[in-house]
Amino acid sequence: MHIGDGLIPLGQTIIYWLIALVFIAKSLEWARKDLDEMKVPMLAALGAGIFAIQAMNIPIPWGTSGHMMGAALAAIILGSPFAAVLLLTLVLVVQGVVFGDGGITVMGANIVNMGVVGGFVGFYSYNALKNSIGMTGASFAAGWLSIFIASLVCAVQLYFAGTFPLMEGLLFMGLYHAVIGVVGEGLITAIALNRIMAVRPDVVSEKSVTGPGVAA
Amino acid sequence: MKNNGIIIAGAVIAIIISVLAPFLASSNPDGLDMNLINLVGGGSEEHAEEIIGERAPIEYEAPLPDYSIAGMGKLGEIGAIVGGTLLMLGISLGLGKVLGKKQGT
Repeated sequence: MHIGDGLIPLGQTIIYWLIALVFIAKSLEWARKDLDEMKVPMLAALGAGIFAIQAMNIPIPWGTSGHMMGAALAAIILGSPFAAVLLLTLVLVVQGVVFGDGGITVMGANIVNMGVVGGFVGFYSYNALKNSIGMTGASFAAGWLSIFIASLVCAVQLYFAGTFPLMEGLLFMGLYHAVIGVVGEGLITAIALNRIMAVRPDVVSEKSVTGPGVAA
Repeated sequence: MKNNGIIIAGAVIAIIISVLAPFLASSNPDGLDMNLINLVGGGSEEHAEEIIGERAPIEYEAPLPDYSIAGMGKLGEIGAIVGGTLLMLGISLGLGKVLGKKQGT
């Protein structure tokens, strides 16, 4: 879902940069307040893991493919959507600057989609569902929703940019990412959270844990 | 630093994924690229790239484009992705320490 340079006019990219910068500033504030020394190793592990998993494109039908964003997982484990904003910003900077994956002028838009939308949708949908369907089900749903909604926002941005027609953009971005989201985001988010809860439940934010021994 | 095991476990898993990615990752265009090919390029990847290239406000040459090192094939891809993973590990660890909540505050 990495938008490249040329897909959004320069004037519009500035708007997305401004939105992104507001959330990046808030994420730095989160780090100052909440990122204690217990959480820093998890931040680093997630940073490395999200970069690596984003290089692993999973094939889906129609000759296309997709990969995990990791924003929902980061927000759930670290207990804040701003953790996802911070991590996805770092990942997108490295991907764009070093590897040419995602453009430079449009990086703000990519941060808005994958970091902000992915992180907030992932975090709040997980929290809305965790007590009724459990951590595993909620993390699957949060992962799926995070990439699906982010893809729709991306389609709307590209409509305003004059790149995609609105209906076809929404339909196909939604369709592809609804499929990618099942294995590529939902399943991996649920498995990763489940495994971490089994091995080191103490490093998962207490805000995301439903109760003692409730890992499934 | 407590929880060093988390960094090591995270790094090991991430490096395993990085080494496998060049072999296992699908080379099909991703969802967004597929839409660009169909909705912008009328089904042609070259045509889509041409139109987008003309519209790009800047031309930025990344040092390791497409997660590869020129002339090094799969080994270069492994090197690029493992390098990126280690860079991310270092940046997030360093920034986390600098930006994070200081002890006793």
